[in-house]
Amino acid sequence: MKLRNIFFIALIAFITFILLIPTLLGSIGVIPPKDVRDIAKLYLYLTYNQYNRSLWAASPEAVTAIVWDYRGLDTLYETMVFYTAIIAALMLYSEILGQRDVVGGIGLSFIVKRGFSIALLAIIAVGFSTVLHGMLTPGGGFQGGAIVAVAPVIALIVFSRKLFDYSKLSYRLLVALRSLALTGIVLVPLIPLTLTLGNAFIFQNQVKTLASFSYPSTIIDVPMGGSLLLLNLFEGIAVFTAFMLAFIVLLYSEDLSKKFLEGEDIGY
Amino acid sequence: MFLITIASLYLNIAISIYGVIAKPNLVKKFIALTIAQDSINTVAILMGYRIWRGAILQPPILLSWSPSPKDLQDFMNRAVDPLPQALVLTAIVIGLAVNVFLVSAILHLYRHFKTVDMDEISKLKRGAIVEETA
Repeated sequence: MKLRNIFFIALIAFITFILLIPTLLGSIGVIPPKDVRDIAKLYLYLTYNQYNRSLWAASPEAVTAIVWDYRGLDTLYETMVFYTAIIAALMLYSEILGQRDVVGGIGLSFIVKRGFSIALLAIIAVGFSTVLHGMLTPGGGFQGGAIVAVAPVIALIVFSRKLFDYSKLSYRLLVALRSLALTGIVLVPLIPLTLTLGNAFIFQNQVKTLASFSYPSTIIDVPMGGSLLLLNLFEGIAVFTAFMLAFIVLLYSEDLSKKFLEGEDIGY
Repeated sequence: MFLITIASLYLNIAISIYGVIAKPNLVKKFIALTIAQDSINTVAILMGYRIWRGAILQPPILLSWSPSPKDLQDFMNRAVDPLPQALVLTAIVIGLAVNVFLVSAILHLYRHFKTVDMDEISKLKRGAIVEETA
């Protein structure tokens, strides 16, 4: 073992020890705590409190209420980080984006193709169900989008690259869909402001004491969470298209992706 | 009982940070980074959990769609903390996006240098610089 490695191990053990002792002595409280914090109790108490409609989020699921209502601006900024990371990944391949791959393929056997076609529908259905029921059950835009994003990855392997090169869901369409979804995420918090000519809060979901605007909280008798449903839907589409774009670019064949490296100096 | 859990989670984080720093292979660095992300997320979830002695716990989801004040009170006393869950939920997706970026950067490096070993890459770069300046 190299001396460098021994030094690293000793250093890491020391850091762990230094971190562990205050934790065990209670610097961040008892883990796990005996009771949840007061702010968490407040969120739990108010999220679907029909007796106090000026503070409720109309969502029986407290996590979604926090993600898109109580702390909606946080999530908006997180979406921006997400957007930037994927754009950065795409930029690395900017010269070949949208091109057809030089290597074709025939994909896997007939049985696998037919079997996966059935599973594909199920994956998409489960994903969209997760997105649309985000305010009732564990789930939402992020999770549902990630579930649906699995489908194109498997499709790429089962049907080969040709499927994407010749399908209608082209690179340009995916980028357009993603931009539309992100525009939706920006517009939904602004609609209350526009409709009431400024007499509402940004990211307002339900009625507040000084602002009377409110997204519909129920459809028939099912809680819909007002703006939470729309935001989840847009986020789901954004996540799905982002991952699909990233996978399409990552799985370009080496022959094509090497083309734009030709002529560059080694070492940049 | 939770002493072992907390200690092992810290150890997990420490080992993965060691992996990120010490391993020259970029793929191993990347795997170590994802382990670090998951361990930190587990610590956050554990901090939002509550000890179940004497209480029936439930996820932060209200099951009744027309709850009475008593239902709300029970829910408040039984549910675990939803805040760390909301944090971890977004952290996972952002982590995934950053991972996609890292993977594409590693793939790019591999296609350029034909290796994912950082030591090799720095040797190649050094060679190229020496060649240029000679």
